[in-house]
Amino acid sequence: MAGIGTAALRLDGPAKVTGGAHYGSDAPFGKPLYGVLVTSGIARGRITAIDEQDARAEPGVVDIFTYRNIGKIVPGNIMDGDGYMGTSIAPLASAAIKHDGQIVALVVADTFEAASAAAYRLKIDYAEEVPAATFDSPGTETVAGVVASKKHKDPAVGDAEGAFAGAPVKIDAHYATATQHHNPIELFTTACSWSGGKLTVWESSQNMWGAKTGLALQLGISPDDIHFVSPFVGGAFGSRGSLTQRTAIVALAAKKLARPVKLATARDQGFTIATYRAETRHHLKLGATRDGKLVSVSHEGFEVTSRPDNYMVSGTDASTRLYGCPNVASKVSIVHADRNTPGFMRSPAETPYIFALECAMDELAYALNMDPVELRKVNDTQNEPIKGLPYSSRSLVPCFDAAAKAFGWSKRSMQPGSMREGEWLVGWGTATTMYPSNISASTARVTLFPNGTAKVQTATHEIGQGIYTVCALIAAGKLGVDPANVIVELGDSNLPPAPVSGGSNSTASVSNAVSKACDEILAKRAQGANGAIEAYAENIPKGDPPDAIRKLYKGQPSFTGGTESKDSIRFAFGAQFVEVRVHRLTREIRVSRTTGAFAAGTIVNPTTARSQLMGGMIWGISAALHEATEIDPRNARYTNKDLADYLIPVNADIGDIEVIMIPEEDSIVNPLGIKGIGELGNVGMNAAVANAVFHATGVRIRQIPIRLESLLVA
Amino acid sequence: MPNAHDALSSFSVITRRTILSSTAAASAVPLTMTRGQATPNAEPSAAPPLSVDLVVNNRTERLIIDSRTTLLDALREHLNLTGTKKGCDHGQCGACTVHVGGKRVLSCLTLAVSIREPIATIEGLAKQDGSLHPMQQAFIDQDAFQCGYCTPGQIMSAVACVKEGHAGSDAEIREYMSGNLCRCAAYPHIVAAIKQAKSATESG
Ligand code: FES
Ligand code: FES
Repeated sequence: MAGIGTAALRLDGPAKVTGGAHYGSDAPFGKPLYGVLVTSGIARGRITAIDEQDARAEPGVVDIFTYRNIGKIVPGNIMDGDGYMGTSIAPLASAAIKHDGQIVALVVADTFEAASAAAYRLKIDYAEEVPAATFDSPGTETVAGVVASKKHKDPAVGDAEGAFAGAPVKIDAHYATATQHHNPIELFTTACSWSGGKLTVWESSQNMWGAKTGLALQLGISPDDIHFVSPFVGGAFGSRGSLTQRTAIVALAAKKLARPVKLATARDQGFTIATYRAETRHHLKLGATRDGKLVSVSHEGFEVTSRPDNYMVSGTDASTRLYGCPNVASKVSIVHADRNTPGFMRSPAETPYIFALECAMDELAYALNMDPVELRKVNDTQNEPIKGLPYSSRSLVPCFDAAAKAFGWSKRSMQPGSMREGEWLVGWGTATTMYPSNISASTARVTLFPNGTAKVQTATHEIGQGIYTVCALIAAGKLGVDPANVIVELGDSNLPPAPVSGGSNSTASVSNAVSKACDEILAKRAQGANGAIEAYAENIPKGDPPDAIRKLYKGQPSFTGGTESKDSIRFAFGAQFVEVRVHRLTREIRVSRTTGAFAAGTIVNPTTARSQLMGGMIWGISAALHEATEIDPRNARYTNKDLADYLIPVNADIGDIEVIMIPEEDSIVNPLGIKGIGELGNVGMNAAVANAVFHATGVRIRQIPIRLESLLVA
Repeated sequence: MPNAHDALSSFSVITRRTILSSTAAASAVPLTMTRGQATPNAEPSAAPPLSVDLVVNNRTERLIIDSRTTLLDALREHLNLTGTKKGCDHGQCGACTVHVGGKRVLSCLTLAVSIREPIATIEGLAKQDGSLHPMQQAFIDQDAFQCGYCTPGQIMSAVACVKEGHAGSDAEIREYMSGNLCRCAAYPHIVAAIKQAKSATESG
């Protein structure tokens, strides 16, 4: 009987291959009006004049909304604090411009073509002030993380400075990661329709209940009067976890015009109206004995954020705990600039911080003349170093063993530049990945019908991870029915709440809630219930606050896992291996093959898990070699705001990707033993690629992405 | 410790400076229009609607549409065929790929009123009885997608890639499928799906 662990094809596959899957942008509203945004041409200053005359002369234009006439929208707080928003910058609150590409107008017309044309005919004048673009720009403000946020702690233990001073082998190096944008292929569209005081919003979201609660606060109405829908989400990667400011604007326009309004946000506007991964800088100091034991780890990080919001990812939480070491120091600072507020992007904390640590570990391996895999094994630990808590499970060494064997690592020669094939310099690199195993309170309703079919209802989100199929497998296994006979309903805020699909928690949170509801059905059946048997379950994981369900009904998750638990530390681990080829003349860098081995507790559906891990590994390659949003330092504007200039891998960029899943049991993380994998695959891959480039060329590049110009002799 | 530059520097004398100076001279400032920054005396862009007959998935549809309407918007907004996806509206992602006259085209770069040949979209690929095209089945079998948003475009491109004779090797498939971005990065599985469906697609 199919259930947990069955390698199942996606039950939503037929819908996805026939065009039958409906995404947020496929709102089925008849006779809508069309909205097009106008975004600011400066990053800091004020609007001095808006000339609507030409734009309103465009045939078909119905209305133009600016700060002068939109009405009241409560800005809200960012999700990283206690709110629901991606930014607290309310774009149409006044004439003030706080960042490049801030929404300054919404043009509404009978057709998309008319709205687009009118958007180009609108004339907005600004008084521009000199903005601060990024690190080192005049006018930025640097604030310590502990000052910016009560939640933030700088993990530390022992005397890192003293131990570093006395260490026989040392690494002291600086690293940097680039600005990145999620760029899901589905655009940031929104469609709003009012009927009798009730608002329906079609918008692809990772956070149905959070979105409806946040939007209700913004509009000053009851969350019960808002219905969020997106049965499918066309890629998210964190970009649709928090609410953007666009939704309330479209909602008010639709209300005033008493017609549905469909907003078509353009690709370039998605770079500035939603969140992104900010650029980071790192200072790493590692001290070790001659046999490779770490005696001192110190990690200082700097992250860019907007003027008003204290968004920070604080990856030292993970990086200070990856290896056993008696002396650890860390500090995170945020740098306020005139930018839109950054936000969650696939492994927000671990992607930059583990990059820095794992590059430094490679440098240490070379300083010791020790195999980089051996160095990781020498410093493996079953207890995190800060408080000495045990890992609930940690299979890092088995991951390294399996991946190294499959990759053929034993044939590697340590010397950089020593493995060549014709014109190509071949390099092999490795790195560790880790990601916190989160779970939140969640709810689900399950119905078992007498004809052997079942229905699962929960307001979680199909963002590509295959949660439709996961829900069906859980119910099928428990209730003894065929997964193909399980109807799964999700992506709708009228369903019982599930937490935001972020932090790789969904499979763990939702599966445990569905499983609990199935248990109740089985109990009812054992007590003699017949006919259709329905059960609604609220699952509160051990460690969640007692009011976790009440919070969930307000759209707030209660994550436990990672470093949040008192008795253990909960992470999934993996080992990344990569082969790069660097052309000796052109410096073209190709990734020819990669192997990743991952241990993440129970794998509910190995088929979709493999795809998710593979996609993550390719994201890591992309971060290492392709992706960067370029910022003009003079005007704090992004310069490559489209899919031709913002590089992501195409099919021809990707070679063989081998995914190995290492069996692991963990009864502590949750009853089903599930650790999330959505973000495990990409962490560390960026460092593995950078380390491989060093091995190929002997050139140590400490800043990603590494482009061929990075390898030109200075 | 190895010398940091030894593997590369012995081979060539290209420097960052020579690259930068040679590319700077070649670049030109592109002429772009920006929303909200109109130039005075902008010409009204609207023309009266036009009538056009489009043959879509073997049905003739009469549309009265704006001459500026793309085939993509005609399908999605006028014919309610939302299977064809908009990912950029600029010919940069491939999500909007359909067949016109049996060839793959980017519907976002094609004006609807310009079309004289039959159009096939993802909704028309399965047989009348609902049985899937071999390429659709292969995408399911190989788990060649995650979110599925790029998938209609990938599948329409994949069918054309095979029919064009560009599925001869993994490398050729990768090259000829590189106009279709997949942010979920299902690329290796897309290649596997095309190989699975190749012969059935050639004969179909
Ligand atoms: S929408 Fe046509 S290529 Fe992207
Ligand atoms: S499956 Fe998500 S973009 Fe390709």
